[in-house]
Amino acid sequence: MEGNHNICTGCGLLCDDIEVELEKEIVNKVYTACRVGVAHMKEGSREASFLVDGKPVDEPAAIEKAAEILKNAKNPLIFGLGTSTNEAQKKAIELAKKLNATLDDTSSFCLGPVVEALLQEKFKTCTLDDVRHKGDVMVFWGADPSDSHPRHLSKFSYFPRGEQKQRGWEEERTAIAIDIRKSHTAKICGNYFFQIPPGGDAEFINALIDGVSGKLPKTSYGYPPKKLLELANILKGAKFGTIFMGLGLLYSLENLDPIIRLVEVLNEKAKGEFHLIPMVGHYNMRGFNQNLFAETGYVNSVKFENGEAKHGPEYSTVEALKAKTVDAALIIGSDPLASLPRSIAKNLLDIPIISIDPCETLTSKKAKVYFGNAISGVECGGTATRMDGVEVSFNPIIETKRPSDEEILTKLTEAL
Amino acid sequence: MTSTMELYQLLPKTNCKECGKTSCMAFAAGLMAREFMPDDCPPLKNDPKYKESYEKISGMFSTTEGATETGLIVHEELCFGCGNCVVACPVNVANDPYGAGSGKAPQKVEKLILIIEDGIVKAQNVEECRRFGKNKILCNGCIVTCPVEAIEFV
Amino acid sequence: MDFGSFLAAPEIKVKIVTYRDIFQNKAMIEDRFGEDYKNTSAVIKMDSADLNQLSVKKGDTVIVKNSFGKIVARVEESGYETSHKGIAYMPNSPWSNMLVSDETGGSGVPKFKDIEATVTTAKGAKITDLEL
Repeated sequence: MEGNHNICTGCGLLCDDIEVELEKEIVNKVYTACRVGVAHMKEGSREASFLVDGKPVDEPAAIEKAAEILKNAKNPLIFGLGTSTNEAQKKAIELAKKLNATLDDTSSFCLGPVVEALLQEKFKTCTLDDVRHKGDVMVFWGADPSDSHPRHLSKFSYFPRGEQKQRGWEEERTAIAIDIRKSHTAKICGNYFFQIPPGGDAEFINALIDGVSGKLPKTSYGYPPKKLLELANILKGAKFGTIFMGLGLLYSLENLDPIIRLVEVLNEKAKGEFHLIPMVGHYNMRGFNQNLFAETGYVNSVKFENGEAKHGPEYSTVEALKAKTVDAALIIGSDPLASLPRSIAKNLLDIPIISIDPCETLTSKKAKVYFGNAISGVECGGTATRMDGVEVSFNPIIETKRPSDEEILTKLTEAL
Repeated sequence: MTSTMELYQLLPKTNCKECGKTSCMAFAAGLMAREFMPDDCPPLKNDPKYKESYEKISGMFSTTEGATETGLIVHEELCFGCGNCVVACPVNVANDPYGAGSGKAPQKVEKLILIIEDGIVKAQNVEECRRFGKNKILCNGCIVTCPVEAIEFV
Repeated sequence: MDFGSFLAAPEIKVKIVTYRDIFQNKAMIEDRFGEDYKNTSAVIKMDSADLNQLSVKKGDTVIVKNSFGKIVARVEESGYETSHKGIAYMPNSPWSNMLVSDETGGSGVPKFKDIEATVTTAKGAKITDLEL
């Protein structure tokens, strides 16, 4: 199986070692990828599709209608882009500037705050390759990579041999899960699964800080101090530790201070170094955050005005929809009618929607204009940023008649 | 997970004894223990009215054909291809340290016991497994690393 | 005569925590309007004691509702060793999102993983279809 390996854009891991067998330009067999990756790669090869009001049209007609909607809008929302290449994301930022639009991605209600703090260097981080080569203690906190990033443990964080980890996971690595339920990942962690009550994360962090600092760790929910101390000692003994932070932990905290403090304290007290990596899900959500950060200093939730970016939660998709401050929506590779609370997403039905998505979704069904685009990473190439910040470039695996989102965004920009 | 009872439900349940066992239940137990293959039940294989059941049972056993002598069973419907077993298997590590053993695509696929094909683990060369042969040990590397109990030895 | 039908069906309050499920995710990629996605998404996992209290068996359908929405979902036993009466789990999906509050405190972040709802038997009603 040596030779030509493909990149899988099924999740934030961007696995780079996938072998694919084609038959008549269709993906027939996939080796080494997980089930989600296989489903993603086999999804392709559909006919070109452009709809206006649900009726098939040609591409120029769809572009014209979409441009008209955007032109007539005073404050359009551009949203999505977690499954777009860096190149498409940059086009979208350019378009948002030109339109004085509100621009946001899913990270505003997901791991965006953690990526922002990371880019502002508020905590120490590292790459997944570092973890593979050196990691001895990994903590999956409010994260279940077995379900969200299926090859995380086998490719990087627990099972593989690395440069300084030649003897295998049983001897040289300790995987810890902290969660409110016994997830698939927690199951693999065996005795190192620490179950806490919903909302109990901040207290658990503070107790751990006490434990690491030689004080008696206490929680209001009576977590056994002995177990807490045992965990504190494992963390303290780490030479190269990493906390993988998931949504479960983020949503449970009022702000990031406690977890940032824990990483700081561990770096002071532990034998070696400690890092934090957010478990970014979409294959290029981190790319969007970095691209927008480079342009504006913010990772999401911005509103452009004459080239300047204003930022704040009021410009997040959720608040903009709630307050009905946006009057049209260009949605790229995302299905907010499915992924947002119905109580908020329903406001989308009051404004014209332009949907760019490789597949039919609830949002595309309600769109005034729909572009069926090529699947990023399967039918079109480009570059993306892995969940740990590593740049990855990829070529299309199969050909398609469908345009890429980058091409559609370019044409839209020109039509304006 | 497949059980003897589930297999039994798919059999003709006529207790015709053509397989050499006294009942369909005994044959189901034999299937579970890998003493038999679905083809060893002539009515199931030949009678068109059991076609659907035959295909279903054959499907359950197809991926484990290579493993029948050793009893390693992959429950395909549970496996999601995380590859933990592929990377943790000591034989895979020894035979392909820089490929499978390092968490990457196999470099020496012909020497591996476990590989991931179409998102599901596939067993091959099972005679190399440490649980078998004259120096066998009760290695459980692929079992304890599986999040969904998709691998089993019977 | 079915005396049960004269009694109000038992109802319990639960806190629903959402999670990700790989088979459900795969089903979505394959066909987000398909049966497989519906059957892997519209699922609520509860403590066995809560199932008993509701007089429902695993595999039955239940009504899950609050002031934001109402869905019919299939109920399952969580199978977790630790008792979690009053806490239920659902895969994150358009179905769980029908129950999420619009209250965000201006933060832009809805409480996707912290849903309060009541559960009662659906008396065999079918799982809610995905539509608007």
